[in-house]
Amino acid sequence: MSLPILVVDDSAMARKMLIKSLPPDWDVDISQAANGIEAIAAYRAGKAAVMFLDLTMPDMDGFQVLEALRQEELNSMVIVVSADIQTVAQERVMSLGAIAFVKKPVSADVLNAVLKQYGVI
Amino acid sequence: MSDSAPSFNLAETVVKWVDVGIFVLNKNFEVQLWNNFMAHHSGRLTEDVVGKNLFEAFPDLPKPWFTKKVNTVFLLNNFAFISWENRPYLFRFAHNRPITGGADHMYQNCMLLPLKAEQGKPEAVCVMVFDATDTAIAQNLLKQALETISEISNRDGLTGIYNRRYLENRLSSEFDRTRRYGGTFSMILFDLDFFKKVNDTYGHLAGDKVLVEIAARVRDKLRSSDVIGRYGGEEFVLILPETPLDGARQFAERLREAVALEPVIFDDTPIRVTISMGVTEHHAGMPGYATLTHQSDIALYASKAAGRNCVTCYAPELEKLAAAK
Amino acid sequence: MNLAALTNDQHDALQELTNIAMGQAGASLATLLDEFVDLSVPRIRIVAVIDLPPVLAELVGKNNLVSAARQSFQGYLRGEAIIIFGEPGCQALADLMGFEGELGEHGETELLLDVANVLSGACLGGMMEQIRKFTETTGSTELGFSMPSIMARQVMAAQLIDPGKVRWSHALLLEVNFTIQNRNFIAHLTMLMPEDGIEKIRGIIDEFIAAF
Repeated sequence: MSLPILVVDDSAMARKMLIKSLPPDWDVDISQAANGIEAIAAYRAGKAAVMFLDLTMPDMDGFQVLEALRQEELNSMVIVVSADIQTVAQERVMSLGAIAFVKKPVSADVLNAVLKQYGVI
Repeated sequence: MSDSAPSFNLAETVVKWVDVGIFVLNKNFEVQLWNNFMAHHSGRLTEDVVGKNLFEAFPDLPKPWFTKKVNTVFLLNNFAFISWENRPYLFRFAHNRPITGGADHMYQNCMLLPLKAEQGKPEAVCVMVFDATDTAIAQNLLKQALETISEISNRDGLTGIYNRRYLENRLSSEFDRTRRYGGTFSMILFDLDFFKKVNDTYGHLAGDKVLVEIAARVRDKLRSSDVIGRYGGEEFVLILPETPLDGARQFAERLREAVALEPVIFDDTPIRVTISMGVTEHHAGMPGYATLTHQSDIALYASKAAGRNCVTCYAPELEKLAAAK
Repeated sequence: MNLAALTNDQHDALQELTNIAMGQAGASLATLLDEFVDLSVPRIRIVAVIDLPPVLAELVGKNNLVSAARQSFQGYLRGEAIIIFGEPGCQALADLMGFEGELGEHGETELLLDVANVLSGACLGGMMEQIRKFTETTGSTELGFSMPSIMARQVMAAQLIDPGKVRWSHALLLEVNFTIQNRNFIAHLTMLMPEDGIEKIRGIIDEFIAAF
């Protein structure tokens, strides 16, 4: 069975860029969410064994998504993908339970290395 | 192509001779490059400065501030600017306009540029020093000219005291200030008695002389915070900050005497002049400064009706008198 | 000149490009001030110059007093960055940088200009990096920057720009704001580009879209 992964970003372009950077031979079932609220819903529907999460989003941002997931006993590997590259932002998402921080624009090599490191591929 | 290539390094020569100060610092603030502009203006030769710590070579530089500025360029990998408008100069150099300058140093704009290999971190910072003296002098002259213009536009051409435009602004701001911070102020409106007769009898030049002389006499008696202006024709206004009605009345009385006591001399002819005055004080609850002008006008009218050459303070019952005129 | 509005795809792609660029600017500001900076979602519009005052007022808040600095850039892209500081931005900045009431008027101005320069330099630098990476640009992709200067102090946002003095008919407006919580600090970075620049950006975005 394919691995359910979720790509969360308010920009369709950013979601496309990320999906293109995933390992081509990775057997996944990709869902997308354009904001935090959609992301939580997809997570509850079991579509997010791995979640790629943007930080800067309207309505519910990435930090809030991480906090909400923590309330529900986070059961997903969250990789934050963000243009907000401040050290404090990186530390904050890690303390909220994200497993990795990848800066935008996403590089396929960096993403590959992270996925390998956590044994997802 | 090689035939036309010069026998020297183009870029190096340009940097050496360009009419802009260029020097380069490494992370330890050691000078790596020092072009002719810097050498000529500082009097320190290239071979004398290169390799030395900048602050040791130039102890007068504002070290803590400039260190922070350069370090930020290293840290953020971004250029930075220094404007003469905030800091007149980085190096105190003499400028190139010793005769016509009116400045005793060169004004400078600076640009700080991170130097790095492509994709790398900055390894050095290039500082460019531009002579902005001409701009600074022009801007200072412009500023002075604007101040003069604004001063002129507030003055009455004949008497040199403030004009009506300024008086209105000043009354308005005095009114706002008093309403906001408390305190009080008084206003006096006065007018030359039978001024038309002066003009008809002695001519307009004599009339002008009378206006100038009376304005000067009154101005000489003012405190520095008091304001006098010509409101129009032969009407004058005084604004007396922090002065209650009674003080203003006594002051008006002294002015009236000073005017009446001595005639104005025009072409050896003594001209007797008297003034009629109306006084009023600011009160909380006045809707606007126009109330003050109105009240002083009513009081002035009462002085005229009482036979002129006198002072009247505003009182509400005077309104009826004015209404009956 | 009649300008077509951006398509949804173009808008989305430009927003992402801006987001990445502004991320750099935010990181530089955070380094400069040693504080965590909250970044807003970029807002993007093509605006008729005549509409700029009300649009800026809407972005910044109608009744807020602001101070602003401007800096022009030229080269591969051409336009002006306007950095709008909410009041009491100056004092908050001075506090953040460790100057306590010891800055004169000139010191405050210098601080505003430094921050303005860091924001526009980092943001445009970030934007050029994306352009070099994702498009087939040939020739020089460098930008030159003018010295920043103060546009206005303590005015309403709507008074910042006098449309009568702008020679362009339309401008591309990119806006993001940087806030520091508990510090009462907000800066809006807006980029204005003239018509020819807008068409160039449109070309870049289309290439950017085609690449994915």
